[in-house]
Amino acid sequence: MDAFEAALVRILPRLRRFAHGLTRDAADADDLTQRAAERALKARSQWQPGTNFDAWAYRIMRNLWIDTARSRQRRDRLIAPAEAAETIGAPGDAEAAAERLFLMRAMEHLPDEQREAVALVMIEGLSYAEAAEVLEVPAGTLTSRLVRGRQALAKMLGGNER
Amino acid sequence: MTEPIDELPVDETMVIAWVDGELDPERAESVRQAVAVDPALHELAETHRAMRGRFRAAFGPIAAEPVALPSAEIVSMADARAKRMRGLWVPGAIAASLAVGLFIGQIERPAGVADRADALALAPGLAHQLDTQLSGAPGPVRVALSFRAQDGTYCRSFTATHLDGVACRTDGGWTLRYAAPGTSTHSDYAQAGNDPARASAIAAMIAGEPLDAAGERAARDRGWR
Repeated sequence: MDAFEAALVRILPRLRRFAHGLTRDAADADDLTQRAAERALKARSQWQPGTNFDAWAYRIMRNLWIDTARSRQRRDRLIAPAEAAETIGAPGDAEAAAERLFLMRAMEHLPDEQREAVALVMIEGLSYAEAAEVLEVPAGTLTSRLVRGRQALAKMLGGNER
Repeated sequence: MTEPIDELPVDETMVIAWVDGELDPERAESVRQAVAVDPALHELAETHRAMRGRFRAAFGPIAAEPVALPSAEIVSMADARAKRMRGLWVPGAIAASLAVGLFIGQIERPAGVADRADALALAPGLAHQLDTQLSGAPGPVRVALSFRAQDGTYCRSFTATHLDGVACRTDGGWTLRYAAPGTSTHSDYAQAGNDPARASAIAAMIAGEPLDAAGERAARDRGWR
């Protein structure tokens, strides 16, 4: 395994977590993770050593998801998403899975641009600068999306603290 | 209370940035002081701090699970993915707790496996085939691929009558980790590796590369342990 593959293996678990935030579905998240890994391996010549590998990998997944979501939105108008898959694909006990499902349902109500900002900062723990780099937006844009997303979530989750 | 360091009023954006650790020390201090004396700001800060903690706690365990790189073979199989085909994909922790009697030829309905929580262990006949048969050999059970999973167990991707699956060897015998209704009772060997959902399942489980012929024979001779 070379340095590139080692870096990819190191970040894949975090990419899979990010995928949960993006897709709000455990099975879709696993699927997206595999496809992002495949794309990263194929696009390895495009990564420039010395640049931020993690941001590059997150960006691959995010762009892949945008393409996927676009075609899925058409499909989902016809077919309801399979919610039963959540309990099968999620790690941890049933209560943890239920909590995650609850939070993913709340994120469902955010516009895409707010959801991805929230997922990168609040779930992935990226700095504002890193998240802005992944999303290729100015820091101010990232901040305002993040704040609006957090305000909306706080409103939805109010009274539901555990 | 000391004078604020700058003229910016402390608003929700600043409170959130403070919670996220994004402020320089001077500005962080001014937010800290404002939060300390203003109950409304204090509540805002607590709300956002708790929410961040809640998301980190809920999603954190996912990032603690290892994910394997797709192997070259898996990548090429995944390229054939034309549409989503979802079989029963059972992660290790759940699969390990299941043990059962699944009999070759008894799964009549396509949904038979997923519908029966008690249908996840392999019958002696199939288990014997998985114990002994090498990849590519003809027979009622055909093994397409053998590999080592991230949890250290040996796993085999196979096609049997009415059933395509991936089983791993545990102390209790062969346990089904992935299953889909068999595509055809007479499907040829090439088809056995063609289910993209199974390829995805294998890609998520595998550690390193699939076993080659020599590695497979050696693993078999050691009883898959």
